[in-house]
Amino acid sequence: MFANYFLTAWRNLLKNRAFSAINIIGLAVGLASCILIMLYVKSESGYDQWIPDNERIVRLHTAYESPGRAPFLTVRSAGRMMPAVRDYLSAEIEDGMRLVVWDTTVQQNGEAFSEQVAFADSSFFNVLNLPFANGSAQSSFNKPNDLLISREMAQKYFGSTDAIGKTLTVCCLRGQTVELTVSGVLEDLPDNTHLALDMLVYMDTEVFGQFPGVLDTWTSVNVYTYFKLRPGVSLEQAQLRLTWWVDNESPFLEFAKQNSGMLPDGTKISDTMKHKLMRLPDLHLDAHNDAGNMGDLTPMGNRKLVATFSLVAVLILVIACINFMNLATARAGQRAKEVAMRKVLGASRAQVAVQFLLEAIGLVMISLLFALVAVELVLPWYNQLLGKVFEFRLFSEPSLLFTLLGLGLLVGLIAGSYPALVLSGYLPGQILKASKSNESSASVKLRHVLVVFQFAVSVTLLVCTAVVYLQTQHANNLDLGYSTERKLVVGIRAARDNLDSLKQQWQAIPGVQSVVYSSEAPTQDNENNNFVTLLGSNQGDKPVEELLNYHNMDYGFFQAYQVQPLAGRLFDKAYGSDTLTPAEQNQISQAAAILNEGAVRRLGFNSPQEAIGRTLQISASGDGLNHLTVVGVIPDIYFRSVKFAIRPSLYMLNPQRFNVATITYNQGQASQVTAEIERVWKQAVPMQPIDMQYLSDMLAAQYQSENVQMQLFSVFSLLAVLVACLGLYGLAAFTAERKTREIGIRKVMGASVKQIMLLLIWQFSRPIMLANLVAWPLSIWLMLNWLQVFVNRIDTWWLLPICLMATLVSVCIAWLTVGGNAAKVAKANPIKALRHE
Amino acid sequence: MLKLTNLSRHYLSDDVETLALNKVNIEIAVGEFVAIMGPSGCGKSTLLNIIGMLDNPSSGEYWFNGENVAGYKEAQLAAIRKHHIGFIFQNFNLIDELSVRDNIELALLYHDVPASERRRRVAEVMDKVGIAHRANHLPSQLSGGQQQRVAVARAVVGGQSMILADEPTGNLDSAHGQEVMAMLQGLNEEGTTIVMVTHSPAHADYARRTINLFDGHVVTEDVKAA
Repeated sequence: MFANYFLTAWRNLLKNRAFSAINIIGLAVGLASCILIMLYVKSESGYDQWIPDNERIVRLHTAYESPGRAPFLTVRSAGRMMPAVRDYLSAEIEDGMRLVVWDTTVQQNGEAFSEQVAFADSSFFNVLNLPFANGSAQSSFNKPNDLLISREMAQKYFGSTDAIGKTLTVCCLRGQTVELTVSGVLEDLPDNTHLALDMLVYMDTEVFGQFPGVLDTWTSVNVYTYFKLRPGVSLEQAQLRLTWWVDNESPFLEFAKQNSGMLPDGTKISDTMKHKLMRLPDLHLDAHNDAGNMGDLTPMGNRKLVATFSLVAVLILVIACINFMNLATARAGQRAKEVAMRKVLGASRAQVAVQFLLEAIGLVMISLLFALVAVELVLPWYNQLLGKVFEFRLFSEPSLLFTLLGLGLLVGLIAGSYPALVLSGYLPGQILKASKSNESSASVKLRHVLVVFQFAVSVTLLVCTAVVYLQTQHANNLDLGYSTERKLVVGIRAARDNLDSLKQQWQAIPGVQSVVYSSEAPTQDNENNNFVTLLGSNQGDKPVEELLNYHNMDYGFFQAYQVQPLAGRLFDKAYGSDTLTPAEQNQISQAAAILNEGAVRRLGFNSPQEAIGRTLQISASGDGLNHLTVVGVIPDIYFRSVKFAIRPSLYMLNPQRFNVATITYNQGQASQVTAEIERVWKQAVPMQPIDMQYLSDMLAAQYQSENVQMQLFSVFSLLAVLVACLGLYGLAAFTAERKTREIGIRKVMGASVKQIMLLLIWQFSRPIMLANLVAWPLSIWLMLNWLQVFVNRIDTWWLLPICLMATLVSVCIAWLTVGGNAAKVAKANPIKALRHE
Repeated sequence: MLKLTNLSRHYLSDDVETLALNKVNIEIAVGEFVAIMGPSGCGKSTLLNIIGMLDNPSSGEYWFNGENVAGYKEAQLAAIRKHHIGFIFQNFNLIDELSVRDNIELALLYHDVPASERRRRVAEVMDKVGIAHRANHLPSQLSGGQQQRVAVARAVVGGQSMILADEPTGNLDSAHGQEVMAMLQGLNEEGTTIVMVTHSPAHADYARRTINLFDGHVVTEDVKAA
C-alpha cells in the first residue's frame, strides 16, 4: 500500500512541477530560516548552564535610585557586601566570592600584551567550579597571588599547557609591577558563558583592602559578587532575606541617619539602594536590565530579542505551512477523483487521510534536504554577521539530526493535517457523478483567512523592519554635538609620568593638528558622580546640592572637538587659574569649571549666563574642598551612547585624572600619523602596547549589535515576505485556472482583457488590503512599545508613512505576483474556457 | 444580417491538421430562426463560434451587417459581439458565485449602462422569462430549466439582435426543453434572429430553416413552408 502511496505522491509531485516547486522552495526557506534562528536561540539560551550547580549560583546587582535623578544601575556591587551578606544569610548561602577585573599589561620575553586579569576571593571555586586542564582548586589556588591561566593563555605565553611554576610579569596593579607564578591551567571557557577569565589571580585581600573603593567600601561598586545558595533555597527566599537585611540590619541604616536627604519620608532603604540577586543561567539574557550603561564581563544578550527571533522563525514556518495547506486544498479537485476511487475500492477515511499526511511529510522532508544545503551555504556569512561560531555537524551530533527530523515531521503533520482532513472527507458518490470536487465555501473562506494572516504577518514584519532601520539610522546619524572627524584616541595611563613630553612629541608629528588629554573620550563612559554644592544659593535652609556626573578635560579639548560655549568661555591657559589642584585638609583650592546645559538646569539656573561666575563646592581633589568658578557653559553633548540620555555634567581640569589622548590629524594623513604616534609611544613606554583607536570606529562599535539585529531582522522579514508571495503566486495561478470558465463567460459578455485583468488583480488585492488593516494597528502598537526604550527615537508620526509604504509594497508585490497569471488567463480564447466542463 | 462565403476553419495540433469547416456558404436574414444539425464532430459548434465571433475563420469571408469581419482583431470582434449577439450554452455557463440578478446584469456591466438603467432592464427581463422570484438565488439553487431561463435572460438583456444557442436543451428534460424552446420562439416572433445548434429534430422543428452539416460541409438546407 505504501508503495502505491509513494508512487502516487511522486507522480503528483512531477505532474504539478510548479506547485511542487513553490511548496518545496517555500518550506525549504522556512525550514532554513528556522534552523538558522534555532542555532542563534540555542546558543543564546544555553549560557552558563554547563557550570556545575549553575541553578544555585546567583550574582548580586546594584541599583541606586534617588528620587528626581536618573537611576544608576550596575551588575557590580560594593566590596563589603559579599562577606556581610554571606554571614547574615548563612542559612541560605553556602558560600560567596568577589571578582575584581582590571586591565593590565603582561610582559614576556621583551614583548608586552594587554590582558584582562580577574582577582578572586579564595572561595572562587566553591562557587564557580571551573574545570582544570592542569592542577586543581585545592593545590593551585590556595595562597595569595596564585595565578591560573587558561589553556589558550598557556599556549600563548609558554607554548604548552605545561606552565605550572613559570612566571609572568604583570604591570601596573595600582602602580606596582608584580611577578606572578602560574599555579594551574584552566580549561578554555566555551563561548556560551558570561565569564571572561583568561587569567585568574588569588586576591590578596589585605593588599586589595587598602585600595580605595575596591573591597573596603559600602557604596563604590567595583566588584562582581557571586553567591552559591544552599540546596533547596530559592532565589526568592534569598532575595527576601537580603532585602530585609538591607532595610533593617545593614550599615546603610547608619548612612541614612547621617544623610537625611538619602531617605525621603515613607521610603525604605531598599527603595533607593536596590540589591538584586540574579540566577547564573539568566545572566546572559537578563543582566542588561540591571547593567545600565556599564556593561558586563562579556557582551550581553537580550531575552526579548531571542523571543522575537524565535517568533519570526515560527512565523516564517507557519507562512510556509499555510502555502502548503492553501495550495493543497485549492488543488484538491484534481485529487478528488483519486480519493473517490480509493474509497469506492474500500479505503477508509483514515487510510486516505494517512496517505495525504505521508505525502505532506515526504514533501517536507525533501524541503528539509534543500534547507540543510542552504544552511551549510549561508552559515559562514551568518557566523560573520553575528560574530559567533555556530557549527552545524549533522552527523556527529545525533541529537541535532533527530531534532531536525522531528521538526520536519512536525511541520509535515501541521501542513498536511488540514488538506488530509478536507480530501479524506470527499464523498465518492457526489464526486464521481459531478466529476468535480465539492469543495465547501467554508474551505474557500478559510483559504482567504489564511492568506490574510500570511500577509498581515508579512506587512507587520515589513513595518517593523522599516522602523528598526530608521531608528538605527537615526541613532547613527544623530548630531552628537561635537566633531568626530579625523580623531584618534590613545590610552595614556601607562605614560602618566611623562604626559607633557609625550604631548610635545606627538604634536611635533607632521599632520597632527592637536593633542588633547581627558579623563574619557566620547563613548568611554564613566559613572563618576559627585555631590556639588552651589554656594550662595538657598533651598529651604540649605544651599542647593546636586549629584553631577563629571569629566576632566585638558586645555583645548573642547576646541579640538569643536564645541562652542553657550556662555562664558572654555578652559584657557592664559587665565592661569583653571587647573584643579589638590586641597590640603581643611583648606580650599580654587579652579574653574564648565557646565553643560543639563547641569545648568539641574542647579536651578534660568539661563547659561546666569551660571557664569557662580561658585560650586566639591570634594574632587585632595583631602580638603575645591571651589570651582563656573567660567563657561557648553551645549548638552552625547559623550556616551545616544541610547542613554545626556546627564547633567561638570567638566573640570584635573591633569591627575587624564586617561586618554585625542589626536586630531589632517585629512589624508591617517596612516603616516598613526605609524608615527605608535613609534613615539614605543620610545616613551616600551613595555606597554599602544591602545589606539579611531574615534569613528569607537562610535560605530556602540551600535554594532543594533546594526546586526537590524540586518538579521531585515533578512528574515524579507524571507517571510518572499515565502508568502510564493504562496500567493501559487494560489493566483490556481485561481486563474479555476476561474477559466468565469473569465470565458465574462469575455463572451464583452469584457476586455484589461477588465478581466483588473478583476483578477482586484480579487487578490482584497485579502491583501484586509491584511494591511490587521497589520497596521498591530505593527504600530508593537513599534510604539519598542521605541519606548530609546531616549532618542524617531518621531512616532513616521509610523504612518511607513505603514502606507508597507501597504503599497505589499499590494505591488501582490499585483506583480498575480498580474502575470491574470494576463495569461485574460488573453486566452474563451471557447476553450467554455468547453472546460 | 450575416453571410458566410467559402468560409473554412482548420485546427493544427501536434502536426495533425483537422478541417472543421470546409468552404461553407450560408446567409441568414434578420429575424430568421435557423437550426444547425449534424452528427458529433461535424463542425456545428465551430460554425456557431465563428458566427458568434468567438473564433476566427482560417479563410473565406464573414459579412456581418455589411462588414467583412473575417480577420478582425479580438477587440474589434468583442465590440461588435457585445452589442449584437447573445449566447445560450448547453451547460448554461452561469457564474456560480453570482446570484441570478447579478448573472443577468453581467451582460450590461460591459456596456456602460448606468446602474439604475441596469436594474430596470434586469427586472424587466427577469419578469419576462419568469425568474423574478429567484432573483437572489445562486445558480446551484436552481433547476436546469431555471438556469437556462437565466441564461436566456442574460442573452437578451442587452437588446441583442441575434441569439446563438448551442444545444440549449441538451442538459434539460423534455418539459424544461419545451419551455426553453417556447421562450426562443417567442423571442424570434418579437424580431430576434436565432441560430441554434441542436441534435433534437423536434426542437429543430421550431426553426424555419434547418442547415445540415457533415464533415464540415453544408449538405442540405431544409426550409419549412410558411
